[in-house]
Amino acid sequence: MRFLFDRDTRRRWFDVIMSGATLLCVALALLPLGSILFEALVRGAPALTPTFLTQSSLMGGIANAIQGTVVLIGLTALVALPVGILTGIYLSEYGKNRLGGIVRLFVDVMTQTPSIVVGIFAYSFIFELSLLGFFPPPLVFSVISAVIALATIMIPIVARTSEEALRLVPTSAREAALALGIPRYRAILRVVLPSCASALVTGALLGIARVGGETAPLIMTAAWNNDFFNGLNQPIAALPTQVYRFAVSPSLAENRAAWGASLILVLLMLSISIASRAVIRMRAVRR
Amino acid sequence: MSAKVHVDKISAWYGPKLAIQDISLDFEEHSVSGIIGPSGCGKSTLIRCLNRMHETIPKARVEGQVLLDGQDIYGQPAVSVRRRIGMVFQKPNPFPTMSIYDNVAAGLRLNGVRERKKLDQAVLESLKQAALWDEVKDSLDKSGASLSGGQQQRLCIARALAVKPEVLLMDEPCSALDPIATAKIEDLIFDLKKDYTLVIVTHNMQQAARVAETTAFMYLGKLIEVGRTRELFERPGETLTESYITGRFG
Amino acid sequence: MPQAAERKALATGLQKLNENMLTLAELSELAVRKAVDGLTRFDLETANEVFTLDQEVYGLQLEIERNCIDLLALHAPVARDLRTITTSLKITTDLDRIGRYGKDLAELTLQFRDKPVVDRGDVARIREMADRTISMVDTAIDAFVRRNAETVRNMIEVDDAVDQLHDENFRDLVRRMSEGQLSIETGARYLLVNRYFERIADHAVNIGLRVVYMVTGDWLPRIRAADRAKRHDGTKEKGAT
Repeated sequence: MRFLFDRDTRRRWFDVIMSGATLLCVALALLPLGSILFEALVRGAPALTPTFLTQSSLMGGIANAIQGTVVLIGLTALVALPVGILTGIYLSEYGKNRLGGIVRLFVDVMTQTPSIVVGIFAYSFIFELSLLGFFPPPLVFSVISAVIALATIMIPIVARTSEEALRLVPTSAREAALALGIPRYRAILRVVLPSCASALVTGALLGIARVGGETAPLIMTAAWNNDFFNGLNQPIAALPTQVYRFAVSPSLAENRAAWGASLILVLLMLSISIASRAVIRMRAVRR
Repeated sequence: MSAKVHVDKISAWYGPKLAIQDISLDFEEHSVSGIIGPSGCGKSTLIRCLNRMHETIPKARVEGQVLLDGQDIYGQPAVSVRRRIGMVFQKPNPFPTMSIYDNVAAGLRLNGVRERKKLDQAVLESLKQAALWDEVKDSLDKSGASLSGGQQQRLCIARALAVKPEVLLMDEPCSALDPIATAKIEDLIFDLKKDYTLVIVTHNMQQAARVAETTAFMYLGKLIEVGRTRELFERPGETLTESYITGRFG
Repeated sequence: MPQAAERKALATGLQKLNENMLTLAELSELAVRKAVDGLTRFDLETANEVFTLDQEVYGLQLEIERNCIDLLALHAPVARDLRTITTSLKITTDLDRIGRYGKDLAELTLQFRDKPVVDRGDVARIREMADRTISMVDTAIDAFVRRNAETVRNMIEVDDAVDQLHDENFRDLVRRMSEGQLSIETGARYLLVNRYFERIADHAVNIGLRVVYMVTGDWLPRIRAADRAKRHDGTKEKGAT
């Protein structure tokens, strides 16, 4: 047992064991992810036929749901990204006061609000508005209503991640800009924001991923539509709701289609992520 | 020689904490003024009051006057004050997302200058003034972050010079640099003083001795002594100054 | 004031410098004293000891000079430290010079071998010159050791008195030589002795003024040229400022 008392040997073994343990934890964390991808691929791939991808759900396809998800994500991002990033800018750059604290608390609470509650909120919000005569009643189940719900979910996520991203930009960068006599807002827009562009994009992606996968609030707002997008005031199909409907269907074929739709949803998120990262990389200055 | 910047009874706070107290001081035109003192003595705070950078910190407050050519800078828009009184910081801080060219041009561009010719001219001149041109003239489109520490600091000096300030404040500009880079910056300071009024805060007393014509010693937020650098280092008037510069100090 | 740093390396160096300076001062003063002794009592042995002392003085002076350069190079001293080191550097030259005059006096003693000092009046005058100058050297060294500028501030006035004495001696010697009371050779040697003491006093003044600078940072004017010019109508060449 002499080696036990040999410090160097003990240290070397400890190092090996700890490295092994960290690797094991990584594997544990990646396992569910791998399993999901694997399941979706194995079970969903057979469902992917040309018809499935090009026809609306009226004809047993998911093309309208893909389109719906893209439309919803696009419109939600259009609303939520500016609002969220501006909120983040406020929190990071101006919010070192009581109002900032309150806003931050609200944003945190909103991040943790169950999405079904958000769905109910959007539903009743639109409903109240229509009672007040702002919109005709059918609007309750509509793209608008869904975008309101999804934006409500996405804004706090984007706001918080942008705040964190902006905070990572060293004060020295801001000071450098201010000391050149550059007005504060311009320093933020032209110096601070570009410095944390990739972190901002990551935040936006996080929000988009979250929103793209939301099902519960869509059931309350977008409802279903077996046809393609036909107006902002009409219900709309989306991949998550489509997966849900296929999954609860008694038809075995539709159950299989649910896997196909899931796979498409995963691939969609993956491609959005890869594409935006590529854009960021292309914009970076040559070192 | 006349006072380019006249500091009149400046006090500054961070929240409730008094950082500098009742400081009055003159900075002469076309000369280098050094400010020395132990960490936390308020020397950085003082020069940040000279171009209104102090107030960019939340809850920071200033009282008193700073006259630039006889006019109180606290009665003018901060933005235009900072264009006339530039600043170089302790750590080289080039804009990380910008190329060398864009870094130097940033001050002009973000203040609305668009003409390419004007920008080219300013970039060339400033980089030459900052003794960096020969080293970067073939890589103006490279990131500013790709330069060495000393080059980055000279880039920051070029960036500050590009907006054509009258006064240049330097907050420990060499504390992150090696001796060779430091010597280059000091040479640069020597050259710059014929066109600018320079104020340099430094931890390194020998640096103040090397570059500054007058030196001020600060301690616990107060100005203890100010005088010709030679006098201050050969025969300081105050015991406190003496024990600080001879290193017999906590 | 916060707890003081000591700067141990510099402090040790300065202490060693101070000790060496003291030794050097003692050695050169001793050289002069012995030389005077040898001269007035016509003691050749004592005179011979002076040569050894002068060698020691010279060696120590070189060592001090090197130490000072090291301290300057390594510690970049400022303020009082700087003044102490540079003053020491300058004073060593004066002390070495004083030692050298001791040696010169001893050489004269040996040359007087065949014509020893006989005139009691001359011995007394040499004694007086010697006493005054040695006390000036004493005062200057004491001021250096005690870091006290007060005792040396009036050194120039004391020196004036020595200068006056020197001039009187000079005139007297020249007169006696021209009247034939004193041989030219002996008289010339007396003139040299007289002159050496006057020079030693000047070095004492130098030391004193440098001590004033070391302690206070003030540069005292070394010579009030106008006063001097009047008093010493060109008999001396040291008037250059």
